[in-house]
Amino acid sequence: MTDSTPVFQARGVEKAFPGVMALSGVDITLHPGSIHALLGENGAGKSTLIKMITGVHQPTAGTLTLDGKQVSFASPRDATVSGVGVVHQERNLFPRFSVAENIHLEQLAGAYLKPINYRALNDAARPWLKALDLDIDPSTLVSELSVARMQLVEIAKALSLQSRVLLLDEPTASLTSSETDRLFTILRRLRDSGTSLVFVSHKLEEVQEICDRVTVLRDGANACDSQPMEGVGRQDLVRMMIGRAEGTASWRARDTTTHPEVLGLTNVSTALGHKDINLSVRKGEVVGLYGLVGAGRTELAKAIMGKFTITGGTVRINGTPVTITNVAAAIHHHGLGYISEDRKNEGLILQHSVLANVGVPIWRKLTRQFSTLFDRDIRTAALPYLQKLEVKTPSLSQTVANLSGGNQQKISVAKWLAASVQFLIVDEPSVGIDIKTKAYLHELLRDLADQGTAILVISSDMPEIIALADRIKVMDDYRIMGEIINTGVYDDIAPAIMNLIHDSVAPAA
Amino acid sequence: MIQLSRLSRTDWFGPLLATILAIITIRAFSENFLSLFNIQILLLAIAVNALVAYSQMIIIAIGQMNLSVGAIGGLAAISFVGMIEVWGLPTPIAVILALTIGVGCGVINGVLIRITGISAFVITLATLSIYKGINMGITEAQPFYGVPDSVKAFGVALVLGPIPWLLVPTALVAVGLWFMLSRMPVGRFILAVGSNEHAAGLSGISVNATVIIAHALSGLLAGIAGVLVVARLQIGQPSIGDDWLILSFAAPVIGGAILAGGHVSVSATFLGVVIVAIITQALVLFNIDPFLVQVVLGGLILAAVGLNKLRARRPIGRGE
Repeated sequence: MTDSTPVFQARGVEKAFPGVMALSGVDITLHPGSIHALLGENGAGKSTLIKMITGVHQPTAGTLTLDGKQVSFASPRDATVSGVGVVHQERNLFPRFSVAENIHLEQLAGAYLKPINYRALNDAARPWLKALDLDIDPSTLVSELSVARMQLVEIAKALSLQSRVLLLDEPTASLTSSETDRLFTILRRLRDSGTSLVFVSHKLEEVQEICDRVTVLRDGANACDSQPMEGVGRQDLVRMMIGRAEGTASWRARDTTTHPEVLGLTNVSTALGHKDINLSVRKGEVVGLYGLVGAGRTELAKAIMGKFTITGGTVRINGTPVTITNVAAAIHHHGLGYISEDRKNEGLILQHSVLANVGVPIWRKLTRQFSTLFDRDIRTAALPYLQKLEVKTPSLSQTVANLSGGNQQKISVAKWLAASVQFLIVDEPSVGIDIKTKAYLHELLRDLADQGTAILVISSDMPEIIALADRIKVMDDYRIMGEIINTGVYDDIAPAIMNLIHDSVAPAA
Repeated sequence: MIQLSRLSRTDWFGPLLATILAIITIRAFSENFLSLFNIQILLLAIAVNALVAYSQMIIIAIGQMNLSVGAIGGLAAISFVGMIEVWGLPTPIAVILALTIGVGCGVINGVLIRITGISAFVITLATLSIYKGINMGITEAQPFYGVPDSVKAFGVALVLGPIPWLLVPTALVAVGLWFMLSRMPVGRFILAVGSNEHAAGLSGISVNATVIIAHALSGLLAGIAGVLVVARLQIGQPSIGDDWLILSFAAPVIGGAILAGGHVSVSATFLGVVIVAIITQALVLFNIDPFLVQVVLGGLILAAVGLNKLRARRPIGRGE
């Protein structure tokens, strides 16, 4: 440890959500005048930790200390009042309010009826804008600013509250490289004036450029705790982030090169901004589509399903070029299925019964004369798949909302099995389900493939994609960055994937 | 040209243009349209309708809706006359009590919404039925006729030329609302909560208090509107407020209000009321079936929402 006394410390912090241990004994120590990197893959627990430091969640166990005194933040307000500020990834500004008003809304919160003196408000905002080199009139509406400047206004807002600890969650995610440089100049100045900054980013180059300490989380625990950045190389960071090889036991090499192609995309571009997407999935093959959140994977899946318009290139199904104009056609004419990552909102109808959920895609097929539909038919069609997946439900009329996450996920798979699709897109299959169910689900998907279904797995969970896929496509910024033939060896594949993504970032800087 | 595009971005420019166009068109077909008597009738309608619109506008500002605006106004109106007729209360005290009932109904709406977490739509749908039911229970569907002469006189008195005294309270309310929404913390909080409730909470604004204040204000304005209608009709009709709902949404929406919350315009909403009044008037002048007014109002709402959507799509200050 260094000579300076830490301004903030978390010791042995745990956070349990129903069914999931999000954090198990995490430590972090923040020093004044330092920029501290917080790293970890998606799901490693970064955002849970941030939410605990800033009072959104309360830890189940462990202590937080500020200036050596133990604190507990009951609400985000408590944290800001104590000098712990945060700039969230999502914007928390009021677009139709002026810059000055956004910065000082907090100070107005005491009085309801005292007329606002806008001139005084503008004057009070100016020093904070100046401190951030923001050359804007404080009376400008926030909606007229660029994204980068909005972010700086949020930083100004946090600083105006005398924040001594300032957390920045992916502040550079939507910035250009020159905007990032300017932000870094400002962050360094804040650091030199004694603020303790926490910098969360996926971009390792940036982390190495600006941070002096680093904490890495993996699976809700410290892979390293507040270690000085000196002597820590990029590869060390990657190793700490992806660490162990896990869940590869069930993986075995399969040769599907001779199988016919089920779905093929050639130079496809979409209305959402995908460019030159080439992708081919063969019968019986599992192709992984890896990428970070926001890379455009789900959007591509939905474009294939006919939800969004494909503006260029060709889509082939079983070798024949097709145009899929809507989701119903994708399901009924082309035999495509999509298991959404957002199970609760897009995948299942939670208030409906198990039977109704599994039956939705086959209702059309099962209708008799006069468009009548009988539960008996649906039961006959659906039951084998529910049994095959060992869905645990007291009865088929049970409401899906009452089942566990794992069983819900099984039902969303069963639904498409019943529809006997030839091509299945599975988007983030293991979000919100425990490790045991996850392994089971992986086996299930590979079994499905062995029986001839072509599967595209979308995931930002690296162990998962390495456990599942035969080939891995890496996507970033709505483009395919490259392809890796999966060998199942985690230590080889994980860095290869990481490099494909991070190399794509490097030249932009 | 730059100035024109700037103007077109304000909320009041479009409605103002529409108002002027409507006046010119209707004047071209009807000599009587701009007669003093006709203008006076227009202003009387505007006086009451603007308050009804503001009562809804303040709830739209927090991103909710208040279906019980008419029921509150009706309840305030009949209790106003009822207290004078049955209890013999002096008029000023009856006014104050009637407005207190309006505020109380609003507070009940706000508190229920915040305590239960149920949507404003459902809560105010329920209270609409309750307030209306109380109204019917009190009046047994019979009007109160005991409107004092002073109130009747106020209802027909003119300030100057065709301008009725009824318009004075409305004008004061409009100015007050404008000042509150643009210059007072409470008004800014209302807009902030409507714009982003989560962020408002993080900025130290009490979302509960703000929502309840907005509903109290909505109830107060509906109550004032109810009392003014009594003065205008010279009778305490139990059916007062029954036909307010569509208008209460139409005017703010024509005035560019965002139904999701966070943005309303006092002046443009007023113009929205003027447009609706002019068109209603025109249908009467041209002897068109008055029931068609409803159809036209519905069409106006659709057109206004469509226009707002188009305006919102135009990128603001962000080149890409």
